[in-house]
Amino acid sequence: MPDTTDPGQPPSVPPESVPPRRAFLRGALSAGAAGAVGGAAAGYAYRATRPAPASQQALERAQAGVLAPVPFHGRYQAGILPKSQRQTAVISFNATADGRAELTDLFRTITARARFLTAGGTPPPAGIGAPPSDSGVLGPTVAPDGLTVTVAVGSTLFDDRYGLAAQRPARLKPMTAFPDDALDPAQCGGDLVLQLSAGNSDAVVYALRDIARHTRGGMQALWRIDGYTSPARPSGTVPRNMLGFMDGIANPDTSNRAQMDRLVWIQPGTAGEPAWTAGGSYLVVRLIRMLVEFWDRVDITEQENMIGRRRASGYPLDANSIGATPNFAADPTGATIPLTSHIRLANPRTAATADSRILRRGYTYDRGIDQVGNLDIGLIFTCFQQDLKRQFETVQTRLAGEPLTDYISPFGGGYFLALPGVVNGSDYLGRAMLA
Amino acid sequence: MRRAVLTAALTVSTGVIAACSGAPSPAQISVSNGGCGSSWQLADPGWHTFQIHNAAAENADIDLVNPSSGAIYAEVEALGPGTTSPMRLNVGSGSYAFRCLFEDSEAITGPTVVVGGHARGTPAILPVTRNDLLVPARQYHDWVAAGLNTLASQADGLAAAVRTGNLGAARTAWLTAHLTYQRLGAAYDAFGDFGDEIDGGPDSQAGVHDPGWTGFHRLEYGLWHGQSAGQLTGVANKLVTDIRGLRASWPDQQIDLIDMGLRTHEILENALQFQLSGHDDYGSGTTLATTQANIDGTRELLTILRPLLAPRYAGLPAVYSWLDRLQALIGKERRPNGTWVSVSALSMSQRQRIDAACSQALEALAPIAAITEPRRT
Repeated sequence: MPDTTDPGQPPSVPPESVPPRRAFLRGALSAGAAGAVGGAAAGYAYRATRPAPASQQALERAQAGVLAPVPFHGRYQAGILPKSQRQTAVISFNATADGRAELTDLFRTITARARFLTAGGTPPPAGIGAPPSDSGVLGPTVAPDGLTVTVAVGSTLFDDRYGLAAQRPARLKPMTAFPDDALDPAQCGGDLVLQLSAGNSDAVVYALRDIARHTRGGMQALWRIDGYTSPARPSGTVPRNMLGFMDGIANPDTSNRAQMDRLVWIQPGTAGEPAWTAGGSYLVVRLIRMLVEFWDRVDITEQENMIGRRRASGYPLDANSIGATPNFAADPTGATIPLTSHIRLANPRTAATADSRILRRGYTYDRGIDQVGNLDIGLIFTCFQQDLKRQFETVQTRLAGEPLTDYISPFGGGYFLALPGVVNGSDYLGRAMLA
Repeated sequence: MRRAVLTAALTVSTGVIAACSGAPSPAQISVSNGGCGSSWQLADPGWHTFQIHNAAAENADIDLVNPSSGAIYAEVEALGPGTTSPMRLNVGSGSYAFRCLFEDSEAITGPTVVVGGHARGTPAILPVTRNDLLVPARQYHDWVAAGLNTLASQADGLAAAVRTGNLGAARTAWLTAHLTYQRLGAAYDAFGDFGDEIDGGPDSQAGVHDPGWTGFHRLEYGLWHGQSAGQLTGVANKLVTDIRGLRASWPDQQIDLIDMGLRTHEILENALQFQLSGHDDYGSGTTLATTQANIDGTRELLTILRPLLAPRYAGLPAVYSWLDRLQALIGKERRPNGTWVSVSALSMSQRQRIDAACSQALEALAPIAAITEPRRT
């Protein structure tokens, strides 16, 4: 049944008393019917009195392929703080550049292409002596469609090939294999990773083709995954993942600079970190298959207990709004929100765990089917943080063995360090690292 | 050439240079059998888009040329009657004129406009004509003919080894002959139906059990999968027959003049797609050797075309340096005893370095087809 309820009036199932199956269904049906009526009325009033909200306008601009350019230059890379764009691609590369000078050329070239691609414009005609200078996929004049290009480096870049060992970020290492992971080495790691995000897939692929074309000798793709962010359903809430649950509700506030300085950006003078990393951020990419057929055969109460939120509304099981802070202290035995629920383990909401929070972004990937005909579908989990161990690894360790692990299977990804931003037209990604 | 352009610009500029008015308006250039852009102006250096309209009743190629050298800045090819197409370029200091080429008539060159100063724009390239390509085509034809003679005798030896049951010698002879064939750069139907017979794969439905499959790869499959001399003699004999047929037909084959330039990147496009991927490995594990042979074939074409390319293509040194790098990377994977490692046995980093060098070589090679496309003048 389509959920047409107004976000202010969600269908509610009392958490404390799960009715028998027959009664539960009856309750859901009547709540749904009432909700549908309310939703239709709310929609009418909404259209009659207000312009579309910003998120709706952004969606419409994205669908038209005309999202405004995101300024490329800045202290930080521009693609890190904004909310997930509609479309993304994460591509891991190994450097094939021969020596430090060629590696520097590679980073200069990536920077120059990113600078053009994020600003848009007319690619120069190639003249009579060359094939066209671009793929033409975005037409004669390139609209950036909100493109962001985020570049991050992996620990392997700091081996003996380029003389960068002394520049290695202190906390950077190959991705840890956690107990419930099923990692495929062919889809893990890489010397550098690009995340390209935009309003539409064609803008993402255009950028990828362009950057790859200009860097063929300098790097070779190792693995790649494309993803998308769903619209918030209902409008004004938080996008859902393929488990049907809203994802990333409890993120830190990216407009809070002090919080970003505590949680996301590597600060100048951080103990053990080479100076060049200041303004960068550790990036974790985890490719996580969701066993959606299995999940869909699980009772809603069990699903909600595994997550710790209502599927329909996104509310914590102990509260009546999406943004409410669950009160775990008042529920020490997990009677309302089970102790093993995802939200409780991931973010216990205590003073002691506040500095393990991460800036979390999620995208749905869809890669067709597997050998038994099930959908190969899941999550591109990415998160940014100041300290891999204090944040992602601590969270992941708390999550070990959570009931949800039966329904998900991490198979790839890596640890990277998103480079500091490019401050002006003569700067380039990795300049301080390569200096 | 640069000096000549500047001289012309300086000589004529006083009277002809267009006034530096404000924003350039989109210039409409009309061409017909009666005139080729009869009145037009260039206000300033920089990016300009001309809307070229063909008012004639037949197709036309429209070039923007340096009238003193004949070098082409930009072109619109095969512009149909009544149609309009944009021509965009970065105008620098120099002389500019439109030249119209209608079918079956002499070129018409319109009035010259000179842009003074020292602005750098889209460089003009001297067109390569059919005449320019006749000698290279003959050289290439002769080189292939010599290669086919070598191939025919090597195939005879291969077939003899198979017939006599000396399959170890046959495997060695197979590689020698196959590399000779691959060195000829037989990409993209260069040898027509003979190419399919000599070096094709099996039918995609039937796979390696395709009874109609013949040629080098059929023989490779048998020689490296324990098939007997009896099973393979017919295949070897057929290969000899097909190679002889190709050699006999070759003197009558014309080299399409546009093909030499195309082959300079197509041969390695195929190498990347079928050899470095391992796709065309039917058991011998020698696709790196095949790639090396393909590099040799590409180099031969470059040697033949070099007099035309050297004055026209600033990227030519990069072509050679990337081919050298690719060759060195492949050479490193050859065992000390001269045998080859299959691409599937390479480490990821070995493979990626080779693929990267091949891909970058292809980027550097790609302009050659455009530069050596035969053009009317």
